[in-house]
Amino acid sequence: MHLPDGLLDPITIIVLWIITIATMIFGYFRMGKMFEKEDTEKLIPYIGVLAAIIFAFQFVNYPVPGGTSGHLVGGTLVAIILGPWASVIVLFLILVIQSLFGDGGITVLGVNAFNMGIIGGIVGFYLVMLFVRLLNHTSMKKEYKLTIATAIGSYIAIVLASFICGIEIAISGTIPFEIAVPAMVFWHILIGIGEGIISALIVFYIYKTKPEFITTESMLKVK
Amino acid sequence: MGVIKKNKWPLITILIVIVTLMFVIAVGFTIGFLSEDPDGLERVLIDYYGEEWLENLFSPWVPFLSWLSNDYVAGIIGIVLSIVVLTGTFYLITRLKKKKVKQSGLIQ
Repeated sequence: MHLPDGLLDPITIIVLWIITIATMIFGYFRMGKMFEKEDTEKLIPYIGVLAAIIFAFQFVNYPVPGGTSGHLVGGTLVAIILGPWASVIVLFLILVIQSLFGDGGITVLGVNAFNMGIIGGIVGFYLVMLFVRLLNHTSMKKEYKLTIATAIGSYIAIVLASFICGIEIAISGTIPFEIAVPAMVFWHILIGIGEGIISALIVFYIYKTKPEFITTESMLKVK
Repeated sequence: MGVIKKNKWPLITILIVIVTLMFVIAVGFTIGFLSEDPDGLERVLIDYYGEEWLENLFSPWVPFLSWLSNDYVAGIIGIVLSIVVLTGTFYLITRLKKKKVKQSGLIQ
């Protein structure tokens, strides 16, 4: 879902850059008490590890039927681990590094960060929160509730991000709306399955082995 | 040496993760599990305009590391860059936030 340069019109690019920068500045102040705690330093090297995992998983494409491929976006995954506001900053920085390799354009960095960080991260996180609350009415174990909510939330977030991406392409006049949006959504309905599975497995593993790394547990209210 | 000793386990974790990820990527490509097909967005653009159009889109710059044609090397450099940039950024964020808390504590 990495938009290249030369695809979108300047107005769409500028508007989404403004939204992304404003969200990152707002996010810095809203990032929560986590980064003010005495022992936060311990967490920092693991943020680097998480970044490496996201980079690597975005780098490798798994096959999807129909002659296309998918890769993890990881916005929702990062949001569950570090919080929704931190996820936009993490995704933005990873996208900057990827653009150095020609994966995603430089002028559209703000747009890609909007799609993957804000929609994938923040929206995905609140979707997970919603599903956790629904699953709290069941007698399921906590780790299963979080895993299932992650799978569904990250899946919907990816499909939603592809829908938004389709709209951006359409309003830029690159491809007509009636072609861009259904095509983007169609492919990502398939690709999103991988996103949901990978995100859920990683969250399940961390929650079982190092639950303190899921820093949003209290926010998500997993019972 | 003290810094290394203090952060022994995080550093070991980073090394294990890098090695595991590179192993997964290498094995994935070797056994043909990983795909070189276009991703969802590229598929839509190729279906509408063709591959040549997509490759000739105007970009105002040449990506600094686009000359790296070896996927494994690009992967390793990208992973190391991600660790350095993200660790550095969040170290700074943590420092700034703690400084703010300390200052507000002094004011009170």
